[in-house]
Amino acid sequence: MLIDNRYVPRHKKMFMLCHWLNAISFLMLFLTALPLYADTFLFIYNIFGAKTLQYLHRFFAVIFIVTPIIGLLSAREGYGTLFKQAFSFNSDDLIFLLKFPLTLFGMHPSMPKQSFYNGGEKINILLQAFLWLVLVVSGLIMWVGNGVIDNSIRAWMIPIHSIAAGLGFAAALAHIYLAIVQNPQSLRGMTDGSIHADYAVHHHGAWVDELIKKGVVTKKEIDAARKAA
Amino acid sequence: MAREMAMLHDVARCSACRACMVACKQWHDLPADMSTPFKGQYQSHADLTPTTWNLIKMNERTDMGGKFHWDFIKFQCMHCEKPACMLGCPENAISKKESGAVVIDEDKCVGCGYCRTNCPFNVPRIDPERNKSTKCDLCFDRIEHGMIPSCAKTCTAEAISFGTKAAMIKLAEERLKEVRMNHPNAQLYGVHPNGVGGTHMMYVLPEPPEVYGLPKDPKTPESIDLWKDYIRPIGKIAGVGAAAGLAGLMVLNKLIGKRGA
Repeated sequence: MLIDNRYVPRHKKMFMLCHWLNAISFLMLFLTALPLYADTFLFIYNIFGAKTLQYLHRFFAVIFIVTPIIGLLSAREGYGTLFKQAFSFNSDDLIFLLKFPLTLFGMHPSMPKQSFYNGGEKINILLQAFLWLVLVVSGLIMWVGNGVIDNSIRAWMIPIHSIAAGLGFAAALAHIYLAIVQNPQSLRGMTDGSIHADYAVHHHGAWVDELIKKGVVTKKEIDAARKAA
Repeated sequence: MAREMAMLHDVARCSACRACMVACKQWHDLPADMSTPFKGQYQSHADLTPTTWNLIKMNERTDMGGKFHWDFIKFQCMHCEKPACMLGCPENAISKKESGAVVIDEDKCVGCGYCRTNCPFNVPRIDPERNKSTKCDLCFDRIEHGMIPSCAKTCTAEAISFGTKAAMIKLAEERLKEVRMNHPNAQLYGVHPNGVGGTHMMYVLPEPPEVYGLPKDPKTPESIDLWKDYIRPIGKIAGVGAAAGLAGLMVLNKLIGKRGA
């Protein structure tokens, strides 16, 4: 059943909440530590005070760490799809990735049908999951590892934490750009939890086929919604 | 004083009277520190703290032969030749003076604690109230005016000596010969270049460094070079590049998208 005869249900509430908790905590973690990465941003420390920001960094670190735990408990379906999809990278995903750069310049090459997540999203999921682990482990070693782990190892956590944060931010920038500028419909998927049928067929054709097969939506209503658009 | 200076602690001469700890607090105006509850131990404080920059450690040890030993050592900043704290400080708040003293500029310090994480001796302590890193400064203000550090000044046993680096190396070699007569395992520590380039806080140790809780082979971590010379500059360029790239992409997208439509 489509929502309002137009929208395909995509994400559940708790899953979306976890996405935004992750997004906000990551962004705040990045901002509160930015002055340590680049002197250009020392003014952030000067405005809010280094101590305040360092405490906030720990506060958001806790949110950043517990978010996936909340997710695994309360948004099992969403996280299950996330993992299953991320580890099912196939040749269609590869073709998508190769042709994808053209879409950045406003072109519309013909693409193989994409599943719930497309090839780019799958890579982003894997990268962010890996970086989450690196950030959490290196961060905890710096935070609570003093006296437990030798400084010859702890010293390495500073560059490792920095690289992971930098890569994570770069991926986030691309993710935000694609969501807001390139595909505003995908942003709707993460705020209202549903996407327009026309967008769904274009960007996640294989997933829509699957939904029709399962009887979640019918081909008739999808076609009707696309015609009305 | 432009000459390179050094301090020598002859552990064999130390009676652990702790006058140097008091003198340090007096000169630096550091308040009494009640952080360590009394549990019958002889050591005054469990560890260095933001108001205790110089600590006489008193380890109790029974050797293989069942003989009891008290291992005293004066523990504070080692004033490395290649100071990891200084090299890894994101705010350049730590500098090495001509005398060799490694000094924290509190006005620049943001209390991030990277100096403590990078220090092979785990010396700096962050004052939680002021959010500033603290440690021994080798009384750099005294030595620049021709005086000697307050701890060395007050030491009655001639266990702490202070002078030019050359003089201290010579003294260390002489003392080592004396100490070796009773302590065959005696050795010098920090006197000759090591993984941190040598230290301006030097020791004559009757026993191996591990006995006193000192790392056998301290090293200025290579991770600092990776972070300061590569990750930080590349990150900055990448940041500017990404912003410019996205802006360009947005414009291109609009232009080509319009033409295609």
